Amino acid sequence: MSLVNITGLHKHYGPNHVLKGVDLTVRQGDVVTLIGRSGSGKSTLLRTINGLESFDQGSITLAGQTIGSRDAKALQQLRLQVGMVFQQFNLFPHLTVGENIMMSPRVVKGESPHILREEAHALLAKVGLADKFDAWPDQLSGGQQQRVAIARALAMKPQVLLCDEITSALDPELVNEVLAVVRQLAQEGMTLIMVTHEMRFARDVSNHVVFMHQGKIHEAGHPADLFSRPQTPELQNFVSAVM
Amino acid sequence: MNDFTLGDILLALLHGLQWTAILSLTAFVLGSLGGLIILALRLAHRPALVWLAKTFIEVFQGTPLLMQLFIVFFGLSLGGVEIPPWLAAALGLTLYTSAYLAEIWRGCVNAIPNTQWEGSAALALNRYQQMRHVILPQALRMAIAPTVGFLVQVVKGTSVASIIGFVELTKTGGMLANATFEPFLIYGLVAAGYFLLCYPLSLYSRHLERTLHVAR
Ligand SMILES: Nc1ncnc2c1ncn2[C@@H]1O[C@H](COP(=O)(O)OP(=O)(O)OP(=O)(O)O)[C@@H](O)[C@H]1O
Ligand SMILES: [Mg+2]
Repeated sequence: MSLVNITGLHKHYGPNHVLKGVDLTVRQGDVVTLIGRSGSGKSTLLRTINGLESFDQGSITLAGQTIGSRDAKALQQLRLQVGMVFQQFNLFPHLTVGENIMMSPRVVKGESPHILREEAHALLAKVGLADKFDAWPDQLSGGQQQRVAIARALAMKPQVLLCDEITSALDPELVNEVLAVVRQLAQEGMTLIMVTHEMRFARDVSNHVVFMHQGKIHEAGHPADLFSRPQTPELQNFVSAVM
Repeated sequence: MNDFTLGDILLALLHGLQWTAILSLTAFVLGSLGGLIILALRLAHRPALVWLAKTFIEVFQGTPLLMQLFIVFFGLSLGGVEIPPWLAAALGLTLYTSAYLAEIWRGCVNAIPNTQWEGSAALALNRYQQMRHVILPQALRMAIAPTVGFLVQVVKGTSVASIIGFVELTKTGGMLANATFEPFLIYGLVAAGYFLLCYPLSLYSRHLERTLHVAR
């Protein structure tokens, strides 16, 4: 069943034509990785899916519902379905780890504090931070902060999780602990759309890889094919440069 | 010092000081409420409201407090509304304080990085919820020290109320100086009175600056 359906998507930043007709279908349980050079439009595409960016033309549907209204209610409705994890974690520094995780379900969904507490503890255990409930974000390493950010996104029980270079700001020795969490999510059947420069990880975990080039999907397919037999010279260059 | 003992003078000055403190407190409290309202308008996503708030802030930051009090006091009475000097002073200082606090607080809200807005938007918080649970709690911490710092200016600013005839500390001092022919002593005591109100605030602001810097 198709969960996210993007057709003919165009986006401009002023005169800069950033997305030039993108079509992409993501089914439930898919793990889709967007790769491509800097400036090719990966982040922009990802951010249109949860409405952090508007778009000019084309359509996005999520579970059959059309996205595109900039109306506050519609955006909130959309974001209840689509979680996102950012490169810089974006944890709330004035809240403890536990509060970071519980705040949004409490404020937005009005869930009971008692249940939320249990869920937050379970989520922290899942990302390997069971003992950090009362810690403050700035007491954690980057890798731990990013795992909290993942737990925080999961607390909203999204249908899709967007990840934009979530290991790029980490010291190399902290990358794997975060990737391990993502890998586990993928195995559990979470629908993921991610941008990453970790090509080996992308090849192992995703079932669909999308190579973006100058605002278009230049080549896409199963990672086994795409990485070992790139068809276009642009992807050949990219693959030989990064792998 | 003919008919006045030092005790009389101190008592009169203390009485004036009390009115200065009351006027300051009124300006703080009502000015904070006003400041919050102007801030809300300034941060609204409606151009007309933003324009209103900006104009308000610019007018009150761009003109002397004394002129503002004159305009409130004499302007209203020209319009047929007679108000006592204390009310004019309280009203003028409240407007003045509102404008400055709104601008100070807006600076603090703007200092919160955009990633905090995005992070909370991605968690489906609406604009009000983002403000209430993410942006303002962080901005507030930043705002405490400059706010208390500004309140010191307000305390000193209340002295202009003497010019429209409100008998607070400065006005009391002026009257006593005329009566006793001891301007140096009297104005020295008046200055000490302001210092008595302001210095603890300054200390408190510096203390906050230090402690909030390390706090989250
Ligand atoms: N907020 C913005 N305002 C103006 N231009 C932008 C903005 N964000 C991105 N762009 C431009 O849009 C284009 C695509 O940017 P995008 O961030 O989507 O690329 P990317 O593929 O994610 O690159 P990277 O690998 O560097 O993250 C670039 O030319 C970029 O300069
Ligand atoms: Mg990017």
